[in-house]
Amino acid sequence: MKISELNELGFTCLQNQFEDADLVGGYTSDLLSDVMANLKEGQVLITIQAHKNTIAVASLSGAAAVIFCHGRSAAADVIEAAANEGIALFTTPNNQFDVTVKVSDALR
Amino acid sequence: MTMKIDFHIHSCLSPCAALEMSPRAIVAGAQAAGLDGIALTDHGCVENLPAFHKACSEANMPCLYGLEATSSEEVHTLCLFDQLEPALEFGRIIYNSIGEFPNDPDRFGQQPIVTVDGDVTGFADKLLFAATTISFFDLVPMALEAGALCIPSHIDRPYLGAISQLGFLPDLPYDAVEVVAQVPPSGTEKWPMVRFSDAHHPEDIGRCFTEVDAEAFTVPALREAFQRLLQK
Repeated sequence: MKISELNELGFTCLQNQFEDADLVGGYTSDLLSDVMANLKEGQVLITIQAHKNTIAVASLSGAAAVIFCHGRSAAADVIEAAANEGIALFTTPNNQFDVTVKVSDALR
Repeated sequence: MTMKIDFHIHSCLSPCAALEMSPRAIVAGAQAAGLDGIALTDHGCVENLPAFHKACSEANMPCLYGLEATSSEEVHTLCLFDQLEPALEFGRIIYNSIGEFPNDPDRFGQQPIVTVDGDVTGFADKLLFAATTISFFDLVPMALEAGALCIPSHIDRPYLGAISQLGFLPDLPYDAVEVVAQVPPSGTEKWPMVRFSDAHHPEDIGRCFTEVDAEAFTVPALREAFQRLLQK
């Protein structure tokens, strides 16, 4: 599954400057220290933490994309940071559980 | 004596703050904003407090020595001392309990330790916004026992505040709570409410402040002054 296919799952793309690589899995967490310790390269991060530190942590771990759940929108500086790092950004009204299930199903 | 105070200011040591936030620039910004008292509160590190102490002494700017500690649940909490030495001692315990993530300056920003003149003498190695291993429920009594004023930061912000991280504001003996919105969240009325700038850039210093009527610029006198805010 390509990163761009997250669009087809109904997630709204907020930042489309990224290399459309294969997603290798996902990690769902709202605690950034946990994300830093456990997210693996090429995964999509599923979270409600829609702030700039999230992008920094995602880039440190080599995340391919970030999905902000529960309709959390991203401020301009968040989108800019993600563009600089080439990390795809999506938002959705769905909660973390539903997004995780959708992405997990699509990856099977 | 009524004082305009801003007790939430970051220096260049915080990775997210502007590099021009040197101790003297902070004092100059505070004077320009007409503040009567300030505190330096970098994320997880107190190593710019000695230079801040000098800059404030030179300018006769009343100051507190603080830091913004990050609990294991990623709740930001202001811990403010009226003496430099206990602040350094407490702050180093906090720094030592931060997770072992090295800072990547290209991604997160530089973390320079500076002299009063702004000369760089070193860098904090660990990523300073990373969480400590100390639970918020332990951090608050630890800070109070060490002699600090303890004020949970931006409790109503959608990230890195007590309510976003824990779901509610635990019933602990805070000296005050820092609020961002015009109306404080319900259930927090029993604590004095303060507003500070959380300045990361010189022009932000004093953009939010609190007026207190304090008899002296000490932890006990400021604690009493915060209590008087509840009667207003």
